[in-house]
Amino acid sequence: MSAKDRRLAELKQLVPEVTPEEAEARRRAGAVLIDVREPDEVAQGSPVGAARIVRGFLELRVEDAAPDFDAEVLVICAGGVRSLFAAEGLQRMGYTNAHSVVGGFNRWKSDGLPVEVPATLDGAERERYGRHLLMPEIGEAGQLRLLAAKVLLVGAGGLGCPIAQYLAAAGVGTLTLVDDDVVDRSNLQRQVLHTDAGVGRPKVESAREALLRLNPTTNVTVHRERLTSTNVERLFAGQDVIVDGSDNFPTRYLVNDACVKLGIPNVHGSVFRFEGQVTVFWPGRSPDPGPCYRCLYPEPPPPELAPSCAEAGVLGVLPGVIGLLEAIETVKLLLDLGEPLVGRLIHYEALTQRFTDLRLARDPSCTYCGDGASFPGYVDYEQFCSSTGS
Amino acid sequence: MVLSRTVLVLPPKLRAELEEIVRGGYPLETCGVLVGEQREGGAVVTGVVSARNIDTEHPADRYEVDPGDFMAADLAARAVGRELVAIWHSHPDHPARPSETDRAAAWSGWSYVIASVGAAGIGTLRSWRLTDEAHFVEEPLLDQDAALPAVRGDPR
Ligand SMILES: [Zn+2]
Repeated sequence: MSAKDRRLAELKQLVPEVTPEEAEARRRAGAVLIDVREPDEVAQGSPVGAARIVRGFLELRVEDAAPDFDAEVLVICAGGVRSLFAAEGLQRMGYTNAHSVVGGFNRWKSDGLPVEVPATLDGAERERYGRHLLMPEIGEAGQLRLLAAKVLLVGAGGLGCPIAQYLAAAGVGTLTLVDDDVVDRSNLQRQVLHTDAGVGRPKVESAREALLRLNPTTNVTVHRERLTSTNVERLFAGQDVIVDGSDNFPTRYLVNDACVKLGIPNVHGSVFRFEGQVTVFWPGRSPDPGPCYRCLYPEPPPPELAPSCAEAGVLGVLPGVIGLLEAIETVKLLLDLGEPLVGRLIHYEALTQRFTDLRLARDPSCTYCGDGASFPGYVDYEQFCSSTGS
Repeated sequence: MVLSRTVLVLPPKLRAELEEIVRGGYPLETCGVLVGEQREGGAVVTGVVSARNIDTEHPADRYEVDPGDFMAADLAARAVGRELVAIWHSHPDHPARPSETDRAAAWSGWSYVIASVGAAGIGTLRSWRLTDEAHFVEEPLLDQDAALPAVRGDPR
């Protein structure tokens, strides 16, 4: 008897085996079924509802799929051998109820049990997003989630450029850009997707070309129009996250109001001279809803107290810092990862390199997102932000 | 756009107290100070003090806090381990935004709370601070004390 056969005989003593049919019945009853085959095998088909963790990473990642060490765990491979080793590894980790599926996926299929072809990354994607795949917090499932995600950016300017660039690079599948402006030479000091040769061209076109050069698989949709109360819901519908990189108050209030109405998280950033800030407005979050923009600023500032960057200037690198903080929040929201900046605002001061963290509370009497408030409707935002009375 | 790096926390009970004084003084301009604590990221109000408006020439549209009242409030606040964090005044029949006179008279490091008031009652309350460039920037006025982390225990 070879060493391998001796070891297998030993494992069969240690690890209880179940038939595929029995495994499927137990999975339906709540047991965790783990397919430990390689990605290229899984890509041809895998048991419906199975967690897919390649054998080499099983011990590292199994706790996400089976947090309870006393839960019933069923391991399946192609023929029922690798799963014996895998289940024994789980026993050694402390899993008290680990089984191996006898005959593996081959027998599963010939027994006519339910199979699905899971969405998987192809070879090129695996290579491109390799550094994401190494992190169990993202992994293949997370990357697939990013690829399926839809993010709309309001503005393809100082904030929009770095945000779109990094989201495209990270593999956010569908990016929609809304901007009606054309590239001006004075934009190039900070709007890093545009080029000197692109002066005079629509910003959304210039941005789309740059994004596709970076990642040709990104689905980039552009709208060369100004966001208005007439088009906002058509454009925002179906988006997972809205990223506000606008530079004027009418648009900020409009983006806020539409996001409150549609329940979409609004990643908000702004820059001015040497400072900037970032937060996520998301009163629709459940649990732990956060404030909306109107909870903090029920009314816009008087125009004479609200100089724009066009009047007061902005440090060219600054929108990069703030935009990338917005991009990070976006990715976190898409992956449901970490602690989003909901109810928190980060203020950044470049001259002193200081970050200040402000806690923000929702206003229960807010006219847009307050308790029991029904959506009061869109207003004339230009008028709202230029009126001197209030 | 100018960004606020602070918030002002005004709990609902104190806000009601302030609004009552402003309503009672209408159509004249009322003023006073707010007692509280400065914290990282803003201030938390713990008391409302009313002061005399000594601009007797234009009591309907100018204010100047009586220096005696100001000093008395400052001493009383310090005695209980607090400090003055804001100056407030009302704008009868005008919006709650600072005038050029308000800006010229303001100091940095303080919040300036303005309450608009009319015959029908209180309009809005807004809080403003001077930036390093002597611009006024609006700071969010929040009603929850939890908005700023405590830096020390309640001294009372
Ligand atoms: Zn709100």
